[in-house]
Amino acid sequence: MFISLQWLREFVPYTGTVKDLADRLTMQGLEVEAILDPFEAIAKIVVGHVAERSAHPESDHLSVCTVDVGQPEMLQIVCGAPNVAKGQNVPVAMIGTTMPGGMEIKRAKLRGVESRGMICSERELGLSEEHAGIMVLPSEFKPGQLLTEALGLEREVIEVSITPNRADCLSVLGIAREAALGFGLKLTMPQLNLVEDAAAGDATKVVRIEISDGELCPVYRARVLTGATIGKSPDWLRYRLLAIGQRPISNIVDVTNYILMELGQPLHAFDRSLLKGDVIRVAPAQDGQTITTLDGQERKLLGSDLLIWDAERPVALAGVMGGGNSSISDTSSEVVLECAIFRPGTIRKTARRLALPSEASYRFERGVDQVGSLFALERAAQLMAEVSGAHVMTGIACAEPKPWADRSHIFRIDRCNALLGLDLTPEFCRTTLTGLGCGVDASDPACWQVSSPSHRLDLEREVDLFEECGRVYGLDRIPAVLPKISKSLDSVQMSDTEFGFLQGLKAWAVGAGLREAINYSFVGTDDLDRLNLPVDGRIMIANPLSEDQNVLRLEIAPGLLNNVRHNLSQGNASLRLFEVAKAFTADPTSDTSARENSRLGMLVHGSRHSQEWPWEQGEADYLDVKGLVENLLAHYRLTGPKAAADYVLEPGHPYLEPCVRVELPGKDGPVLIGRIGRVQPKIADAYHARKDIWLADLDADLLRSLSRALTPVFRSLPKFPPVRRDVTVICPATLKSQDVEAAIRELRPKQLESLALVAVYAPDAPADSSAPAERNLTFRLTYRHAERTLVDKEVDKEHGKVLAGLPQKLPVRI
Amino acid sequence: MNEQLKSFLEGLDGLTLECEARRGQACSLKDLEALRVEFLGRKGKLAGAMVALAQMGPEDKPAAGKKANEIKAALTALLESRQAELEAASVQDGLAGFDPSLPGRRPAAGSLHPITLAMQEICEVLTGLGFEVVAGPEVENDWNNFEALNMPPDHPARDMQDTLYISDSIVLRTHTSPLQVRTMLSRKPPVAVIAPGKVYRRDSDLTHTPMFHQIEGLLVDKNVSMADLRGTLTAFVRQLFSANTRVRFRPSFFPFTEPSAEVDISCMLCGGEGHIKNEPCRVCKRTGWVEILGCGMVDPNVFRQVGYDPEAVTGFAFGLGVERVAMLKYGIGDLRMCFENDVRFLEQFS
Repeated sequence: MFISLQWLREFVPYTGTVKDLADRLTMQGLEVEAILDPFEAIAKIVVGHVAERSAHPESDHLSVCTVDVGQPEMLQIVCGAPNVAKGQNVPVAMIGTTMPGGMEIKRAKLRGVESRGMICSERELGLSEEHAGIMVLPSEFKPGQLLTEALGLEREVIEVSITPNRADCLSVLGIAREAALGFGLKLTMPQLNLVEDAAAGDATKVVRIEISDGELCPVYRARVLTGATIGKSPDWLRYRLLAIGQRPISNIVDVTNYILMELGQPLHAFDRSLLKGDVIRVAPAQDGQTITTLDGQERKLLGSDLLIWDAERPVALAGVMGGGNSSISDTSSEVVLECAIFRPGTIRKTARRLALPSEASYRFERGVDQVGSLFALERAAQLMAEVSGAHVMTGIACAEPKPWADRSHIFRIDRCNALLGLDLTPEFCRTTLTGLGCGVDASDPACWQVSSPSHRLDLEREVDLFEECGRVYGLDRIPAVLPKISKSLDSVQMSDTEFGFLQGLKAWAVGAGLREAINYSFVGTDDLDRLNLPVDGRIMIANPLSEDQNVLRLEIAPGLLNNVRHNLSQGNASLRLFEVAKAFTADPTSDTSARENSRLGMLVHGSRHSQEWPWEQGEADYLDVKGLVENLLAHYRLTGPKAAADYVLEPGHPYLEPCVRVELPGKDGPVLIGRIGRVQPKIADAYHARKDIWLADLDADLLRSLSRALTPVFRSLPKFPPVRRDVTVICPATLKSQDVEAAIRELRPKQLESLALVAVYAPDAPADSSAPAERNLTFRLTYRHAERTLVDKEVDKEHGKVLAGLPQKLPVRI
Repeated sequence: MNEQLKSFLEGLDGLTLECEARRGQACSLKDLEALRVEFLGRKGKLAGAMVALAQMGPEDKPAAGKKANEIKAALTALLESRQAELEAASVQDGLAGFDPSLPGRRPAAGSLHPITLAMQEICEVLTGLGFEVVAGPEVENDWNNFEALNMPPDHPARDMQDTLYISDSIVLRTHTSPLQVRTMLSRKPPVAVIAPGKVYRRDSDLTHTPMFHQIEGLLVDKNVSMADLRGTLTAFVRQLFSANTRVRFRPSFFPFTEPSAEVDISCMLCGGEGHIKNEPCRVCKRTGWVEILGCGMVDPNVFRQVGYDPEAVTGFAFGLGVERVAMLKYGIGDLRMCFENDVRFLEQFS
């Protein structure tokens, strides 16, 4: 919110600089975000005196003026305004001035006559909408004077960011209280000088207030004014509103805005001639009822909305916006001035549901000073009478079903100091609390009774008072002490935590030459549809920022694939990426309605290696991504001499083809760790990939739980030498290597220590051959006896079993 | 000395001279082997000379034999030294084409995302101070994310965070603070945890993305004070940035802490001066301070929600934006770039 220093000084005699004030407020918890000059745009405009005026020789609507701007030389200015006349004081923009609209004033010729400046209208200066003619200034202004000085315009405004708890600071008064507290100054309220006119009538006779529920509206007061003349507000009022960014409208409305900004009390002015009957009722709306607010919009209401009614119909949406049927217009003369307090939650609900935030609702939903509201009404009525010529009826129409009750809390100074880590004295605390407007009863020195003032609705508990003492003393003066952190016996070490595991997983991926990507957890439904992912199980965002961020990722792939598209568009042709992130699936049994599963996604695309010599060139393929998976499983000891993973083709995957399931043997059958596959070319095409995209998507949670139990167990190193024998199997190309390997193992050659595929040779099939394609697989078998050196004969016998047995088990030749 | 012996000895000396003269002509190990056979072989020159030895009288044999052994050793030494020369030359020849400037066979380089880098560094510092890392769900219910944290429905404090909703009662967590609630519900004090993770807000511009990362800290025990909070954060920022980093507490408001403070640290670019060589500092915008996190003492209402006795324990909590730290540490200007995952961006954090 914007606070004018001039205005502030009417409440507190602060004489320091705006910078010091801003710093002090900031350190008191009222963050000053900016120091502004609201009239910077017209800072260079000067007062000019029209010494001569003559008609333009070539035009019937232009005037040629000789203007005194306080310089030795008069300026000749061509002016098109009908009201310009000799002897006027006028605002002048001289050569080189930039106008609020951005136009720079240059030396110009208008129909052959030179013009050295511009005489301005109020609209051109941003001071009002007036543009029928130029602005005419009071005759006492001196030529050459800066306009901002001559008009007494505010040049110093601070923008303060008010936290939601400090509703009391949403006004000049509130900031003045803080300045008084911060600088030890006295707060002065404006003098009330309200003149009631008995001849005008008695407000309590012409308006009766009825409130249906004191919880919704603890107090409602109204003053009645008669004989008002609606018009432009006086300059001082308009300029003051302009300085804080408020647009002046008309005198009556401007006064309500002025009081709102000055005292934080929202007001509403009704045209009494438009109200039916002599009653104002505060009561909830009926479900489905409508009201047309003063902006012309019809609003559909719920029973939870609060309305202001006259004898027949709703006339305002309480605390949010007035009704179109009863608002002040240019012809109004009879005014009912409402000053009420409404229940914050009710106002907030209505303003939010109808998307109707206003300065009034903003304050009501944070809480307005009930005790202070009477002063606000009186000052508003006084100002309205002054600026509109209205007469104020005697008396206040009022209903206060729930008068303000003081709230009292205990305050234990020992606890205050223990919590803050300070050593505040009782004197300091007492001065601070009374300075805030609290009542302090210190008859028990260890446990005071403190009542908080009606404008500080946030002081609800003892701890709130601690904060006030700390805030005023300066939280920044709290010393730094390193705490002794007590750990429980159950504390776990970092690597055993989920975070620690995932950190280790990322470290593995970096070592494997992959770069980490981080994508949003949400994508667009299009991204999921493109991958043919199921609609069931999707978690939609109810209020997404955009359609491409409206659903949580069911799998890790969509984000990584978007990275492919981005990188290819930037000319980054080879990619090795990984991401560790959660995939989200709807789960009605979860207390958050979602199942979250950490995944490791790996993606390779384009060249396998750096494109520099000496690497041989080649495109990344299945074996690259499978190698990563094999390395990972071995890294976590999930595979090894005793355990192997199965790689099983899975037909019909939504977006991968081929798709290979990675399975580990488990007690109750195979455990699915994840999948490896190539993104179907048609889908890859949508990401502008001309080459294969290979992906692995693994369950990181499962990796963690499976690997946690595994500790390496030392095996003695072999003492005796191995004997190695190769076998080359000629088999149909469709026969899987894994099946040959399994068949060899099934033949149970004794002393076989290990088995490895060492060569694959696929001869080019002759073009005319109709025979099925074949390939040669060479396996190396390592035999070893634990206790002695094997002799050739023994090995020959076992190896012979393999050579003889294989062709019987499989359609192969040796 | 008889003639026979004399000529025998001269003959042997002649062998040495001849071998010495000829060994230089052996330009390969193969030539040298031929030479060895010629002199030292079973049918070689030395063997030939030795035939005479057998016919000598017993008085000459010892001298002749001794000489013959000396010559054999001398010949062997001559040939071996030549062999060493040839071997050395052959290693040299092998290295003739060696070019140390050729590029190496570099394995593919991996890298962590800058946000992960910053996150890991922060967590390391904090675990070093004694905090334990906990994790929790990113899709959260309203109670954990708001209500238990002293933000009842229709409370204006909810405006501070533009929330992405899944349903009326389920949100994408707007901060890591629900981990405070989850941790305290499942453990008895003392509690000292940090909770790093993704959080979500309905916000997008140069310095805000709808998803970002936070690290929550929570310490609850008997007699925890705001001085402990300041000490922890001071130690933390000094390790994270530099030893002379200063910390400033500004009063602020968070619904779940009381008192609450925003923490500024002295600007790491200008050292808190606000300007560098008379130019305004672009990081702190002349103020000398950079806002880094929010913190405070755990609000008694939060303790009540999780069943802790606010009269018995006190605690502090803080929440730190990881992107903010990454931007400050690595000088990243546009936050959105972090989530495009352009490899030219990622490479810079190898």
